Amino acid sequence: MRLTQPCLILSVAALLSAGAAKAHHSFAAIFDSEKPVTLTGTVTSVEWVNPHFHFALEVKGEDGAVAEWRFEGFPPNMLVRQGWRRGETLKPGDTVTVSGWQARKEPYLGSVHSVRLADGRELTAGPPASIGGR
Amino acid sequence: MQSRARASVLRLSAAVALAAVASTPLGVVAQSRSATDDVPRTADGRPDLSGIWIATSALGLLEGMEAVQAARAADREAGRSLPQPEPPPYKPEAEALRQRYLDRQGIDDPMSRCLLSGVPRINTRPLPFEIVQLPDRVIMLYEVHHAFRIIPTDGRPHPEDLEPTYLGDSVGRWEGDTLVVEVVGFNDDTWLAGTGTHHSEEMRVIERYTRDSADTILYEAVIDDPVVFEKPWRMYDIFRLRPNERIREYECIESNEDIVRFEELLRSGGAPQSN
Repeated sequence: MRLTQPCLILSVAALLSAGAAKAHHSFAAIFDSEKPVTLTGTVTSVEWVNPHFHFALEVKGEDGAVAEWRFEGFPPNMLVRQGWRRGETLKPGDTVTVSGWQARKEPYLGSVHSVRLADGRELTAGPPASIGGR
Repeated sequence: MQSRARASVLRLSAAVALAAVASTPLGVVAQSRSATDDVPRTADGRPDLSGIWIATSALGLLEGMEAVQAARAADREAGRSLPQPEPPPYKPEAEALRQRYLDRQGIDDPMSRCLLSGVPRINTRPLPFEIVQLPDRVIMLYEVHHAFRIIPTDGRPHPEDLEPTYLGDSVGRWEGDTLVVEVVGFNDDTWLAGTGTHHSEEMRVIERYTRDSADTILYEAVIDDPVVFEKPWRMYDIFRLRPNERIREYECIESNEDIVRFEELLRSGGAPQSN
């Protein structure tokens, strides 16, 4: 497992005001913006559901142990407007690199921000960490 | 008996709202702009607000920062600008409640339970909405929540049998090229914008929609709630036309795990405190 620092949050945060748009839920109640994660693994399932799509990722650690992470992100209507296609963009068996943030309590739950696909494309898949909470 | 009393309160609210409109200055944003020649107009000469729109404040989530930067550049080129955002002018006890909501990281947000976002928040969600302008009414079709508002513009008043609702009751009228919408009859189970922006059932909202170009609508909402605010709170945004867009279905409750999560957080002592 590799942990990296977030790098692209501030520009969005700078736009947010009292009247700002917001994703469906409070990010900060569930996820920890101080725990960015970047994980490479194999997709085992994908669910295109509202209000957040989910996918599972099998990740092999440095000690060889395998953990199954679960990530959640945008609703399907936002994914398709970001260029995603159901059943094509992300499917079981794909090897991808996921960037996001870990949950505060659940060790293998994450909020996805972007996914780098096997063909090198990096697509936005979820909100920045600054959405929700304060 | 209670419902009759509530109806009386709502009628009074509507009357107060009308009085407030009379004393409210014309929209700050609309005053600073005149419509360009390419603004489409209906047969009666009104600017035609019809189209599918997204708030600029929501564009970053929907399309990413490049789209926001392009929008900002277009606004600069057109000389289009908005006043600085104002903090909500809460009375001390109402501000204390907002702080409690902030400390609880937003788990009380009605939207997280898939309840309808109220006005003006529903206009700034990161999914598009469609405006259909007819001679006697304006219809708002929101992708988020699959919700709608029907805004009569034929001079009728608010109904007398209003029950408190999430989106309230809207009536509209034209002031020059600006559609002015008065909204009353809200329940108190919506937030206005960001985390903790609560209000009471006494809230009245005056919205102003001004299509200043073929591609943009200037939006201003004046929120008056004497129970929680020291003075009316003004919000602004710019709606941007999405010519190749369509409104899709969005069923929020389909797989909403936040309801269970937040209930568990509440049972276990509440959300973690802010970092």
